[in-house]
Amino acid sequence: MPARHLIIGGGTAGINAIRTLREEEREKSQITLVSAERPYSRMVLPYYLDKSIAEFHVFTATASVLAGWDVVTHLGRRAANLDVKANTCTLDDGTTIEYDDCLIATGSSPVRAPVPGTDGASVHSFWTLEQARGVIAQVKPGTHVVMVGAGFISFTILNSILALGARLTIVEIAPRILPRMVDDTGAGLVQQWLEKSGVTIRTGSAVTAVEDARGKKRLRFKSGGDVTGDVVIMATGIRTNLEWLKDSGITIKRGIVVDEQQRSNVPNVYAAGDVAEGKDVVTGESAVHAIEPTAQEHGRVAGANMAGKSVRYRGSLLANIVEVCHLDVASFGAWEDTKAHAITGLRKDRPAYRKLLFKGDRMTGAIILGPSSDIWTTNDVGMLKGLVQSGVSLGRWKAHLEKNPFDIKPAYIASRATGTLLPETVLGRPSKAPGDTPVAV
Amino acid sequence: MATLTALPTRVLKIHPTRCTGCLRCEIACSYQQTGEFQPAKSVIRVSPFEGHTSYAPYTCTQCAEGWCMTACPVGAITISAVGAKDVMDDKCVGCKLCTIACPYGTMFYDTATRKAFKCNLCGGEPACAEACPTAAITYEETATSDWLADFANERGLPLLNGGAR
Repeated sequence: MPARHLIIGGGTAGINAIRTLREEEREKSQITLVSAERPYSRMVLPYYLDKSIAEFHVFTATASVLAGWDVVTHLGRRAANLDVKANTCTLDDGTTIEYDDCLIATGSSPVRAPVPGTDGASVHSFWTLEQARGVIAQVKPGTHVVMVGAGFISFTILNSILALGARLTIVEIAPRILPRMVDDTGAGLVQQWLEKSGVTIRTGSAVTAVEDARGKKRLRFKSGGDVTGDVVIMATGIRTNLEWLKDSGITIKRGIVVDEQQRSNVPNVYAAGDVAEGKDVVTGESAVHAIEPTAQEHGRVAGANMAGKSVRYRGSLLANIVEVCHLDVASFGAWEDTKAHAITGLRKDRPAYRKLLFKGDRMTGAIILGPSSDIWTTNDVGMLKGLVQSGVSLGRWKAHLEKNPFDIKPAYIASRATGTLLPETVLGRPSKAPGDTPVAV
Repeated sequence: MATLTALPTRVLKIHPTRCTGCLRCEIACSYQQTGEFQPAKSVIRVSPFEGHTSYAPYTCTQCAEGWCMTACPVGAITISAVGAKDVMDDKCVGCKLCTIACPYGTMFYDTATRKAFKCNLCGGEPACAEACPTAAITYEETATSDWLADFANERGLPLLNGGAR
């Protein structure tokens, strides 16, 4: 009997796992996918929102792709229970699926701040395709959009809202914007830049209620001063979808604890993406990195191991980038580490900012900010990622960076980062192009 | 499909000691890639060393992992017939994930088209190699490699020692 693989979750991690399974397996297995939604990429929803792409563009594994991979699908269904002794998964419609091994890749859901009125009309989350459709239907030229939360999610759709001709106010409970992505200096530069671009920002503002006000929405704050808008978007964080596994016997800390092969404490149950707590390549400690690149790498490593290969994951690297009004903001690795030695460079008028964090002569984290029209910024973004990922010894080049924090390239080249990185692949072999996956026969 | 890997692979080999810093590669590259004679739009970048007395071009190595390709959430980066990782404009949405995935700093982003772009070996006739008057860039059947580290290390010494050596 062919091996029976069950993939729970049709996001980046799940789809990468399926593809890798088909790439790596020696004998054709049976693959079943359970997914609450048709597989699509959340990363591209902002471009659907601003109408630069059509809706069909967001779908990753379409029905015909899944059929080509010979995947049995349960779309529109959620897993409700996992019995790791019987090796069965029960869905929300009562269907029971038997498996030989399974991958949990159920991702995250948005969380709305517990504020009265946030369940009313014209109050949205922006996370799923369905929610994106809801926002698109309501945001028109001249619409005043109030976004609650100044984190990564709201910043990914900021450009789109402005591109639609809407007016934008962002309110944030923390004393500054982007608290999980950049330091105070970086946040200050971004805030000034956005204000110059016509965005109103209120930090240190805790919303206490969202009320209806003659066809508009009025937000009340602990500190007083109402804000009235047409549409409210709640971008107040995400929570991993793990409640359904509460009594399953799977070890969960911040996420499902996985080893280097993405296995949980139950050897035939794997986890990948937002729900997995795996190794951080920089710190060596376990961490949840709820970001797209980690979901992709976790999914591929899990898929290869489920196919019978022995692939060890080097660990995930925290990496974020967002462009707001033509300003690039990115951070890597342990950028928040207060114990690390930090080198900073600031050109306020440009604006441009670099923060390079070190343990000894190795770079462990970085923040980079600069106009997206600067080729230099884009190239440095990658080189900083390479320095943090490779962990190469910078030796005397650290002193060079101390004097010239904007002159990354000679230090990068001379520290042999390229030669260190070239042999590295996630699966221990060259990657295949999308579409090169053999169609199962 | 798997026949692509069986083709002999040619790569851009960089010979930094031959580079004169004339920037013809950048001009040729930008024209080939974007139709403009504009070094800022070139995906091969010449860097100065030793106070602008020596130079070296730097571009994508077409690495085995293809970090840009595996990171792309919409499968917009593929492997071309000549083995180059190539951005398909009609699929790229401009999310910049490839720019934080590529650890070599060889992804580019065009603010006008809102798309990522990179070296695609000009479909097998790289304009930079053709334009280089000193053969500092050659297109050869060889394994890709770190062509610049030794050069940068030697040339970097005066930079580090404040010109003392």
